[in-house]
Amino acid sequence: MKKHTNLLLLATENLLRHKTKSIVVSLCIIAILLPFITAIAISEGVRLQSLGSVEESADLYLTFDEFGRNAAIPLKYLDEVKEVFGVKKVVPRIIGRCYLQDKLAVIVGIDKEYLPESTTCVTGRIFENANEVVIGNELAEYFNLNIGDQFSMRGQNRKLFTIVGFFSSASNIWSASTIFMPFEDAGDLFGKREFATDIQIYSVPGHNGEIATELYYIFENEPYRLQDKGMIELYVKKGFMLKEGIFTALYTVAFALGIPAILVASGFGLSERRKEIGIMKATGWQTLEVLELISFEQLLISLFGATTAILLSIIWMKCFNGAFIAQFFIGEINLLPEFAVPAKFLPLPCLLSFFFAIILTMVGSIYSSWRASTESPVAALK
Amino acid sequence: MIRTEKLCKYYSIHSRHEVHAIRDINLNISKNTFVVFNGPSGSGKTTLLNIIGALDRPTEGKVFIYDEEITSFSDIGLSRLRREKIGFIFQNFHLIPRLSSWENVSYPLIPLGISFRERFQMAKLLLEKVGLGDRLDHAPEELSGGQQQRVAIARALVNNPEIIIADEPTSNIDDETSEHLLELLKELQTDGVTILVATHDAGFEKIADEIYKIKNGRLE
Ligand SMILES: Nc1ncnc2c1ncn2[C@@H]1O[C@H](COP(=O)(O)OP(=O)(O)OP(=O)(O)O)[C@@H](O)[C@H]1O
Ligand SMILES: [Mg+2]
Repeated sequence: MKKHTNLLLLATENLLRHKTKSIVVSLCIIAILLPFITAIAISEGVRLQSLGSVEESADLYLTFDEFGRNAAIPLKYLDEVKEVFGVKKVVPRIIGRCYLQDKLAVIVGIDKEYLPESTTCVTGRIFENANEVVIGNELAEYFNLNIGDQFSMRGQNRKLFTIVGFFSSASNIWSASTIFMPFEDAGDLFGKREFATDIQIYSVPGHNGEIATELYYIFENEPYRLQDKGMIELYVKKGFMLKEGIFTALYTVAFALGIPAILVASGFGLSERRKEIGIMKATGWQTLEVLELISFEQLLISLFGATTAILLSIIWMKCFNGAFIAQFFIGEINLLPEFAVPAKFLPLPCLLSFFFAIILTMVGSIYSSWRASTESPVAALK
Repeated sequence: MIRTEKLCKYYSIHSRHEVHAIRDINLNISKNTFVVFNGPSGSGKTTLLNIIGALDRPTEGKVFIYDEEITSFSDIGLSRLRREKIGFIFQNFHLIPRLSSWENVSYPLIPLGISFRERFQMAKLLLEKVGLGDRLDHAPEELSGGQQQRVAIARALVNNPEIIIADEPTSNIDDETSEHLLELLKELQTDGVTILVATHDAGFEKIADEIYKIKNGRLE
């Protein structure tokens, strides 16, 4: 035990003694890990929020299908769908996008009694009359809007909206740029009355199958599309895996460039190290003891590098809102008003990055050290 | 105590020309003797001492220490032998740069689990013995050649070896200091240590029990 303590202490001293090398290696580790940790945290955060908003939504989504994409569905089917056995509630929605000056806003047209539960008015009230809107906190802050202010969307100035309330939502990606308005106003705004972008169906548990069969007869030859919650959830997850995939691909390139950097850095003073090992072996150190010392050094520097990277990543999220990295995961982030990018630091990725660091530093040092400590001391001292 | 049988070391350069650094060395050294190896530069003194000191393996032949054939030892066995029985003083010191004198001296004790305080005490005692009590915290770079030599000597003594092997220990120090070293080694011999020295220094020949002359890798 005392021996291992001694070796651990010596490892610490060695790192402090070779400051330049230690700093360079730590910087390499941090440069490699920082984007990785930040990206994982953002992707986790965004995913949790998205899944959260899927969670509180309807059981079935009904749209039309055009060229394999979701398309608007005529409202004339609404009453028929309402009558299907097992259907509790049908909610037509219009979801669209519009520019408010230079920022992209998500317009949600919905009857006021169907506003999502997680959306709570922090100030003002829910819309009551035509042309009244409730807008997201961040959007209001960005444009410095107040209750009672009137505005119109870019390119659609015949319609004038009045702000009656601000809301915040549990998922702040949504609240960032969303404008809620009455269903009819949204139809007007996009010039498509008698249509909904989708119809949300709330069903009695266990009746989704029957509902689907019934809808098949209602729509007969119409190209409709029915999706359930699980599928939507899957899409969200898939979307994230794709985005993560793109990021991973880019990151792998950076990682591949980082490895030689670390190798070069940990190769600093390798001949000096070799000689040192020769001296240690000549004065009675065992090969295993030498390797233990060197492993301790790598362990310590990895621990230091990884911890610093995690802390910096947290700071990066707090102070810079994940700049440069968030756009990989949130499309059009530059077009949205500023909002706090969600991030969640899970223990597993943190642990993983620590292992990354260990592997990188070990690769850089263990082989050469092993070579030096298994040849004869005379050879190592050459 | 130390016996060699037909010890040979060849170096092949460009895989063809072989340098016979030593050949057919048969030695029999009893415990507690003071042995001096003498010979011109390049005659093979260092090569021989490295092999006896378990720092290198011979190409052919055997080395016995206490009737144990160390040439068949594994890496672990050789390390243990160096740790427990041998103190080696190198021709060019081989101190670890940037470490202070006392840290260099006590370095072999670290894997033995000896505490910081004890290590410091032991190193201090030995450095005082070689006359460097006032240079405990100096790094090798801050010491003269002779002082470095003495740090190397103190390090060789730190594990209380039964055999001390010194390769030209006086080549870098003045007459007075080498006189001092001679006394120190003599003193160790009276404590029961076996001493092997490679040197040109005539002073050693006066006090040696046995003198071997080496020429072209052979004993004369
Ligand atoms: N690694 C090596 N590769 C090739 N030849 C070597 C090697 N080491 C030593 N030699 C050769 O072996 C011979 C003996 O060398 P050694 O160092 O033992 O001599 P020495 O008696 O100690 O000389 P000096 O008095 O100069 O220290 C020399 O001719 C040298 O060139
Ligand atoms: Mg020599």
